[in-house]
Amino acid sequence: MDWKLRRFGQAAFTVWAVMTLAFFLTRMMPGNPVDAFVAQVGPQLDNPQEAYEMAEIYMNINPEAPMHVAYWNYMTSMAVGDMGQSMSQNAPVAQIMAEAIPWTLFVMSWAIFIGFAVGISLGALMAYWEGTKFDTVLTGYATIITSIPFYVLALLLLITFAYRLGWFPTSGRRPEGVTAGFNLPFIFGIIHHAALPVFSMFVASGVASLTMRGNSIRVLGEDYLRVARLRGLPDRTIAVRYIARNAILPMYTGLMIAIGSMFGGAVVLEEIFTYRGMGYYMIQAVRARDYPLMMGAFTIITIAVVIALLVADLTYGKIDPRAGNEGNDAF
Amino acid sequence: MTITGSDATADAPEEDVAIRLRDTSVYFGMDRGRSMVLNGVDADIRRGEVLGVIGESGSGKSMFASALLDAVPEPGVTTGEVTYYPEEGEPVPVTDLSKAELRSLRWEEISMVFQGAMSSFNPVVTIRTHFVETLSAHDYDVDRGLARATDLLADLYLDPERMLESYPHELSGGMKQRVLIALSLVLDPEVLVMDEPTAALDLLMQRSIISLLEEIKEKHDLTIVFITHDLPLVADLADRLAVLYAFEFAEIGPAEEVLETPAHPYTRALLNATPNLSAPLEEMRPIEGESPDPVNIPKGCSYHPRCPLADEECQQIDPGPYDAGADHDVHCHHWEQSIEDLDVAFEETVDVGTRPSAAGRASGEPVVSLSDVEVTFGSANDGWFDFGDDETVTAVDGVSFDIYENDVLVLVGESGCGKTTLGKTAVGLQKPTGGTVEYRGRDVWEGASGSSLSDDEARRALQIVHQDPGSSLNSHQRVRTILEQPLKRWHPDLDGNDRRERILGMLEYVGITPPGDYVDRYPHQLSGGEKQRVALIRSMLINPDLILADEAVSALDVSLRVGMMDMMIDLQDSFNTSFLAVSHDLSNARYLAEKTGGRIGVMYLGELVEIGPAEQIIHDPQHPYTQALRWATPELGSETEETESPIRSIDIPDPKNPPSGCRYHTRCPEAREVCVEREPELVDVGEGASQPTACLRAQDDPDYRMSESITDDV
Repeated sequence: MDWKLRRFGQAAFTVWAVMTLAFFLTRMMPGNPVDAFVAQVGPQLDNPQEAYEMAEIYMNINPEAPMHVAYWNYMTSMAVGDMGQSMSQNAPVAQIMAEAIPWTLFVMSWAIFIGFAVGISLGALMAYWEGTKFDTVLTGYATIITSIPFYVLALLLLITFAYRLGWFPTSGRRPEGVTAGFNLPFIFGIIHHAALPVFSMFVASGVASLTMRGNSIRVLGEDYLRVARLRGLPDRTIAVRYIARNAILPMYTGLMIAIGSMFGGAVVLEEIFTYRGMGYYMIQAVRARDYPLMMGAFTIITIAVVIALLVADLTYGKIDPRAGNEGNDAF
Repeated sequence: MTITGSDATADAPEEDVAIRLRDTSVYFGMDRGRSMVLNGVDADIRRGEVLGVIGESGSGKSMFASALLDAVPEPGVTTGEVTYYPEEGEPVPVTDLSKAELRSLRWEEISMVFQGAMSSFNPVVTIRTHFVETLSAHDYDVDRGLARATDLLADLYLDPERMLESYPHELSGGMKQRVLIALSLVLDPEVLVMDEPTAALDLLMQRSIISLLEEIKEKHDLTIVFITHDLPLVADLADRLAVLYAFEFAEIGPAEEVLETPAHPYTRALLNATPNLSAPLEEMRPIEGESPDPVNIPKGCSYHPRCPLADEECQQIDPGPYDAGADHDVHCHHWEQSIEDLDVAFEETVDVGTRPSAAGRASGEPVVSLSDVEVTFGSANDGWFDFGDDETVTAVDGVSFDIYENDVLVLVGESGCGKTTLGKTAVGLQKPTGGTVEYRGRDVWEGASGSSLSDDEARRALQIVHQDPGSSLNSHQRVRTILEQPLKRWHPDLDGNDRRERILGMLEYVGITPPGDYVDRYPHQLSGGEKQRVALIRSMLINPDLILADEAVSALDVSLRVGMMDMMIDLQDSFNTSFLAVSHDLSNARYLAEKTGGRIGVMYLGELVEIGPAEQIIHDPQHPYTQALRWATPELGSETEETESPIRSIDIPDPKNPPSGCRYHTRCPEAREVCVEREPELVDVGEGASQPTACLRAQDDPDYRMSESITDDV
């Protein structure tokens, strides 16, 4: 219990530190966003002084207030979910994010799920047939696919299947002219639009399959496996309870990190497919020097990583008894 | 084996045989050729007996065990016959069974306990699951099976409920080993094959498990094949002993006969090479040479390259079993000569006498002096964002001793007692959290930052030889490079030729010849004994004052240990070095300490409980824990056999939470109420030489005399 509290404390501390850092960078860095904002907006206004007030509306930072007051105001508004106002989209940052995040989640979670599922299955088969042609060919394939950056694969897929063959849409996230809702054409349309982005993240399966192969081979050499065979356990029990479980366990943290970093990974992908998710808006924000939107996106990415790692830590003990719930009970 | 015994042809065994092996071989195909790891073995395992199989590492003993269940790991191939004779019914040809038939033979009829109990359990499921899945895989009634498991666990002095609910990592090594024994017996097999079941355990645990085995065997009517490298360990337990050498049986016969009148030269040499507590030191001799390579077994008798009696016949003809008495077969052409001549032959070469005792040397200035040293591991609560409790283990708790010039001190104790930590602290590799370590009167940690000594002189003077020579030598460097490094660092004035001369000289000195050939080898091209010698030279080359030998001989074969220890003693003499040795094995400790007139220090849960001259510690131990260690050290043919265990509980208390008062009171047979409350000081109770002991009883404390015993109500 103590350990869980401590872990929560660390997570909260990380989030707080990132927000604080964001505040001070925004406010104090030479050529910082607030100054830039004032310099950018000020001359266009009748009363340049209004620029300062606008800065507070957009970024929650009042450049004229004393530092501690500005900091307090910034942190309290962040705490209630007010991340300021986007300059380029002309809408509250929180609202843009809330609208974009589900799409990113949808694409990325499928990408991660399929990547890991395929990777683990292939890795298990490769280990089972270790040393055979199947293993050699697949290991080669996995090595190659791992070394291809996903955006290169994304471009190749886009050119081939969207532009040349026309099987998939070249951009967008939902079909045109279909009522949004729980109806078949709409669901099909969403999947149709998401297919290429999902499959370009397939490269992750390469790493997963190699890891799984290595882990499985290690487990295959363990004494307890030999004892289990001598004890006459059915092959299925050995495969599932002994090999698969022990081989997949070490990959769990990797999976959680992949989930945590999926918003970050979505940036380039969504840009390529003009898929209007979080990453897409982030690029837009950078292009338009839309600091509030950028800051909001960064903060959300940080929080996502922190939460994913927290979940990984807290649940690891549940799936691996050796880790224990106390964290330091293991050895 | 070309010549077979007279009775090998009969189909039905006239004696009550449980498993019969005929010309059984196991081989692995390798690039270098066929690796014969069991070479045409004949053996009968009789129903209801305990057959002790003794062999050094690489003698094929694990393959023998696996062959009994046809469980040789792939790609090994088993040939020849292995026949299992059930009590009722037809003989079962084990090597010809289908997969399904094997499945029902293993564990139901012939069961096995492996060497690595630590890793014999699936780490992610509970012990109960292990039992349940075994029972249901063999279509046994799970409830009745679990009831049986509960009985078995209780018989092994375990708490069944706790064990069943535990995960493997929650159990100590000794517990796991006992649970594994229970698991192997849960289907009520006829035969139990145990492959080094106690090798990884502490002395006390080893001995306790051996005693338990005797009870279990009686109760469940078992036939046990007990395979080990440790001859004295099975000496009491076994009815018959079989000695494996180079993948063949050298000798097989009734245990007493094999021990008292061994017929094979190897058995005789092995007995002489085994350190023990009672035999005179002069009779312990190492066996020259090394065990053969399985790819290239010598022609004729495989022992002939190491045998003092070898002649042409031995080089040409594989010796068949000769009858060396009733029921006693030996594979040696000259077994009669061996019985008559060999011991005498050995005695002639005796030349080492014991040296003056440490007491004489203790007068001078100590080289290293530890006072009230304390080492604590783990993190205390460090405040900020740390909501955890203190998680500290005190590995060493207030230990003081001095090491003099040319001195030998051996620390013994069970694993986790802090002996290695204390050793490392003494040579400045571990910073003490309390107390001081002084080298020639200077505090070695003074002015040191971080975890390394700032005093170059002290750093050079205090060296270490690790337990595992394989991992303490850089595998990517040649022997030359490994040995040059310390010279370059500490003797920069030497030029390349001088260095080379010095290295070659040292290698030759420790018997690695020709040295010119060895300096260009990589560590993996050396044998275990050679590696350990290189590691020893590496520390010797810089002329240290004190070497910590951390279990320096534990990883070596029995037949090489005495040789290695002789070498250490020899080097100590020539180089005027002191040794601080750490060992879990009282026999090794005795050999090293007694031969040099050194001392033995006994540690228990971070405290030094008794320290004194080797003879006194071995022959007149004062502390009950030392007495227990003495009991646990297996003896060859000693008549004064204590069968009663001198410890009240088998398992060591949790070092995170040591018992109050005298830490040994939870296991001590003499504990009284005062021991629970008062922590005994180290007080000299020796007659003659000094022998400080931390025991109220040994000190004849008045409080102890008045106090009530607590041994009955535990």
